[in-house]
Amino acid sequence: MDYTIGNIAPIILLPFAAFVINAFIVKKVPKFAVGLGCITMFASFCYACRVFKDFVFVTYSADYYVHKVFTWFDLGLINGKPFNVDMGIYLDNMSAVLLLMVTGCALIIHIFSTFYMEHDARFGSFFVYLSLFTAAMIGLVLSENLLSVFVFWELMGFCSYSLIGFYYEKEGAGNASMKAFMTTRVGDVFFLVGILAIWSTIGSTSFVDIYAAIASGAFNDLTVVGIPLVTFSAISIFLGTIGKSAQFPLQVWLPDAMWGPTPCSALIHAATMVAAGVYLSLRMYPLMEAGGITTVIAYIGGITAFGAATIALIQTDIKAVLAYSTISQLGYMVLGIGVGAYNAAFMHLITHAVFKACLFLSAGSVIHSLHDHHTDGHVQEMPRMGGLRKKMPFTFIAMLCCTFAIAGFPFFSGFVSKDRILGDALLQALDHKTMIAPAVLGFIAALLTAFYMFRMMFLTFYGEPRDKELYEHTDVETLSWNRNVPLLILTVFTLGFWYSGSLTGQGLVKFPGVEHKEWFSTLIKKPDVEKFTKYKREAWGSTDSRDQFFEKAHYDANHGMTEAQAHHAHHVHHIGAIMSIIIAFFGFFIAYMMYIKKAWSPGWWSSKLSPWYRALQSKYFFDDLYIKVIIQKGLLGMNNFLAWIDMGIYDRYIVDGTEVINRFAYRVSNWFDNKIVDTVGVDGTGASVRLFNVVLRTIQSGKIQFYFMILVVVLVSYIWTLV
Amino acid sequence: MFDNFIFLSSAALAIGGALSVVVSTNLMHSCIYLLMSLIGVSGLYVTLSADFLAATQLVVYVGGVVILMLFAIMLTAGSDNKTVNRFGIVKIPPMGNLKTYIMSLLTAGVMGCSVLKMIMNINQTTKLGELPPYSTTVEQIGTLLVTDHVLAFEISSVLLLGALVGAAVIARPRLENEVTK
Amino acid sequence: MISLPSFLAISFILFVSGLVVMIAKKNIIAILLGVELILNSAALNFAAYTRFVNQNLDGHIMSLFIIIIAAAEAAVGLAIVIRFFQIRESIHIDDATQLLQ
Repeated sequence: MDYTIGNIAPIILLPFAAFVINAFIVKKVPKFAVGLGCITMFASFCYACRVFKDFVFVTYSADYYVHKVFTWFDLGLINGKPFNVDMGIYLDNMSAVLLLMVTGCALIIHIFSTFYMEHDARFGSFFVYLSLFTAAMIGLVLSENLLSVFVFWELMGFCSYSLIGFYYEKEGAGNASMKAFMTTRVGDVFFLVGILAIWSTIGSTSFVDIYAAIASGAFNDLTVVGIPLVTFSAISIFLGTIGKSAQFPLQVWLPDAMWGPTPCSALIHAATMVAAGVYLSLRMYPLMEAGGITTVIAYIGGITAFGAATIALIQTDIKAVLAYSTISQLGYMVLGIGVGAYNAAFMHLITHAVFKACLFLSAGSVIHSLHDHHTDGHVQEMPRMGGLRKKMPFTFIAMLCCTFAIAGFPFFSGFVSKDRILGDALLQALDHKTMIAPAVLGFIAALLTAFYMFRMMFLTFYGEPRDKELYEHTDVETLSWNRNVPLLILTVFTLGFWYSGSLTGQGLVKFPGVEHKEWFSTLIKKPDVEKFTKYKREAWGSTDSRDQFFEKAHYDANHGMTEAQAHHAHHVHHIGAIMSIIIAFFGFFIAYMMYIKKAWSPGWWSSKLSPWYRALQSKYFFDDLYIKVIIQKGLLGMNNFLAWIDMGIYDRYIVDGTEVINRFAYRVSNWFDNKIVDTVGVDGTGASVRLFNVVLRTIQSGKIQFYFMILVVVLVSYIWTLV
Repeated sequence: MFDNFIFLSSAALAIGGALSVVVSTNLMHSCIYLLMSLIGVSGLYVTLSADFLAATQLVVYVGGVVILMLFAIMLTAGSDNKTVNRFGIVKIPPMGNLKTYIMSLLTAGVMGCSVLKMIMNINQTTKLGELPPYSTTVEQIGTLLVTDHVLAFEISSVLLLGALVGAAVIARPRLENEVTK
Repeated sequence: MISLPSFLAISFILFVSGLVVMIAKKNIIAILLGVELILNSAALNFAAYTRFVNQNLDGHIMSLFIIIIAAAEAAVGLAIVIRFFQIRESIHIDDATQLLQ
């Protein structure tokens, strides 16, 4: 399995080529552009499948990776350290799995978009953005260094901005896109600072160089503004994750991002882009660990998971519920990183991408069906839905399975991944007192997740239709290839055994005939930084010539721990699993009692906890905090100060002073222009041209015999001078 | 004596032909006068004991070039009836008028003076009797052409081929739209 | 009587005649006639110098090449004349001013 560029580059180049071509032709032939986008996406998916097959089925080694680089620019030696930036491809098991997920989700969402966006005026342009976005995401996954990650990161930010503001006729969409862009920018600035900190320390931003530098202690004894450099850069890069993955202080943009079309919410704000932040943190996990900020990460993850879940409790917009649940699930991933559940966090990233994409697409399917003839718009409000399962059976099935998955019901993927994170959190909480709070928050959030997801299901699909007219206008769903088939494909992959090998992921219930393979946790391991110190670089374009033997990975029941530790860990994990099953069913039960039986009134709870309810309604006042305090008090004052500098100092003295100088210069140059250039230069040129014209016109008569006479005269003059 | 006679008559033919070409106002006539002049030059070659050259002169010039010119004259006959050009300006007659003759004589005078200046100081007075006797030159010329001057010989063959093809291509009739273009 | 100066004189007259014809006549074919005269005068000079000065056959060879070139020149020149006549329906030299415009 020798990888050349030809095997890997098409994965990113095909969608990018589709973007470039479509950008030019989309106005003329939108249908063709859509087809091109889907076909290139499919081809890219096939290439990604090949990579996945090679990594998971052929090599099956935890250490295997493909790394090819070329020097992008070389700044030479600065202070004795080499400063160059390589570009290239770094593929390991994590990238291969993520690559398959990204291309697969993108393909399915492309297909669904042909249904969802069909009657949109800018049907074609949507696919242009989708292609660019997918190319950027694939590029991020393939990147081998932080700088190219940053490039693709920003590219995705731009696509997110464009797609949130896709319906730019609506004022809210424009504001939301701006908000998303500016909020993530805060994180990106810190991310860039972190990149620069690393770059200036080790002279490279490549992952393998960073791992090697951590292993060899290149970061030791270096400090920045009083804190160790490794901590500084870890925090900076994690702030990038916070911005992109909508974590606790910067989570405000993701709910507003729901202004975009639903397929783009599914692709960008559920499956891929927000997961990119988590992916970055996973890649930089050795740095986070070395920087000692895992506790902080765990706290941020726990707070995000809990806070977003509480806000989701009272949302009435179906997409808003999903948006907050996305933030909450991203919080779980970050919590997983914080508690050291590297593998589980990544597994949750994948499973979440699948079921959340499916949930968004199902929500899109529902929204698309519900067309309000009075306002000529689609209905997203759950209070106007109800009883839709008879009208939309296929969407209902898909959404139900995904809800089971996200709520953490056994046999579904969400249970497998979330339970591992919670188990590890529990393990950490038992060992360290400081980690109790994130674990507790995680468990409460699991309860809330089950509750609000079933609340959404019940409000949407069960009970009596609350808006009769709307209900009657809704057509009964028939199975169609670009509406239900993508949903059902995703639904199949919400089952847990794809990821864990066993049906529960815990090995408690063994399905007969299913071998306990556990490929996911076997293959995806925390990068072992020591191995990278002996690393040899592969040149771009050459085939893989490493003679190193990669031994096949084996499932290790103890996960590299001693027998006693492993026993303890398994014990705790079993407790966690049982707890999360109970919690999931309890959440389901509460929702059932409130919205099906109507035995418990939601209104009683909201009046009982009215201060909290108000806080939830205003999303914990984060928007108020940012707008009223930070922007109006802080930034506006600074803005006024800068404006004063601009108007009072810069304008008055520098600009006006420049004007005086300019006026003098004008007079001088005016004189120069009129006298020298005009009179001497221009008129003189004219006069000389006229003079030569007279001479040349006489000579250039066009009469051959006249030329001949001139020839004779010249010849004669030669003769007279020479002889 | 015989040599002298041939020389005098050939010289008269050559000079007379040349001058007649100058003064003739009929193109066909001047072509015939040129023929006379060329025949005279051929006779002069004979007196210079250049027998091969004389024969070539006759065959190529008299038999080829002049005939070609006669054909060209006949093919372009009837072109002289336009006395104004396409801008409406009166044209100088094809065979020249007094003004052109004055111009040409002035030029020729200047040029002639220069040439005379060059050839005046030649005081070669070798008589015919002191020269080696007459012998045929054909064999020696043939040998020289394929030994010393073989490169020029080959190149001239290429030149002739090129002239042949070129003349055929240039003079071939074309389609109507090509002509107007 | 048969000496180098007399041949030079004849060649000179031919040359001057050719020159006059080339400049005085306005007919392209007539100009070509003048060219032929000039070429002949040159060839005659070569033959005369060979006979009276160095007595080898190089001058004859040169004259031969002049005749060859004259033939080629006449062929191409007359082809151009005929082509020109096809386009302009004239062989007046003053009509050949396309390059001027």
